[in-house]
Amino acid sequence: MAKKLSTEMVSLLGNYGHIGFTFVIAIFLGLGGGIYLDEKFFEGKTSPWFTFIGLAFGIAAGFNSLFQILRTPAATPEDEDEKVD
Amino acid sequence: MEHPILFISIILEKLGLPIPHGPVGHGLLEQLCEPYMTYTWFVMAFLVVVGKLTLSNIEIMPGKGQNFWELLIGGMHDFFNANMGEELTEKLFPMIATFALYIAVANLIGLIPGFMSPTASINTTLALTIIVWVTHHIIGFRAHGAGYIKHFLGPIPVLIPLMLPIELISNIARLLSLSIRLFGNIMAKETLLGILFMLAGAFFAPLPIMLLGVLVSLVQAMVFVLLTVVYFGQAQEHAH
Repeated sequence: MAKKLSTEMVSLLGNYGHIGFTFVIAIFLGLGGGIYLDEKFFEGKTSPWFTFIGLAFGIAAGFNSLFQILRTPAATPEDEDEKVD
Repeated sequence: MEHPILFISIILEKLGLPIPHGPVGHGLLEQLCEPYMTYTWFVMAFLVVVGKLTLSNIEIMPGKGQNFWELLIGGMHDFFNANMGEELTEKLFPMIATFALYIAVANLIGLIPGFMSPTASINTTLALTIIVWVTHHIIGFRAHGAGYIKHFLGPIPVLIPLMLPIELISNIARLLSLSIRLFGNIMAKETLLGILFMLAGAFFAPLPIMLLGVLVSLVQAMVFVLLTVVYFGQAQEHAH
């Protein structure tokens, strides 16, 4: 019982423990890409438009990866107690 | 860097090899003698030697060593089967199981004084993550051909200009989050242990952190493997 509980705990931890990290990284990737487009590619002529567009895409990507994490099959471990008992 | 004493570095220095004192060495030889490189070789040698010692004569009635490995490998095999299907498990089990063993041992080795976790360096974790990331795209292309691109195009064609950047960003975010999480957790453990050891090592101050370190090391190794398996499974299945 204790072993079952701990493996379930670890798989839940693995699935949900990285939500925050992935979310933040997606936002910063979008923002960084936007800033790069503004400053390096268009050399500041379009500033700050691509920064904001990139930020919006980054936030959307964060929510997208959040939904992807929630949809994974491992996120809902099946109730094995019913099978065993 | 993290630990005051790294015994492999000391031995190599006595042998006359250049040991870098900063975080990055200059020459090729100096980069090869970085602590995370030498301790990576150490972990590899450890795994090979222990495997050889415990599994040199396989019996029908397993002894202690063989029992341990059968439990571990059998558990991992069942877990991979449940999460990414039999076909992928048959193909990729050696790779992922090696990652699991390597990361677990590499994380735990940093708890012993005189050793350093190779995973406390971003180079090691990024290398592991790049292998996983590239492999999951290869699996996708082999399973779906050019249709794998549909994974990145969203549900309806009208939304392609919106969904393509979003999916690309969240895919690259996987690469970064997988590597930085393992690196960050292990480096935090190593740095905290080092600081506590220097501040109050005589009063056993690092002891509670060592206890937590065991937990963190095992959980991070399992999380890395779990996410690897989930990504492989997702690349294999059909686009939503």
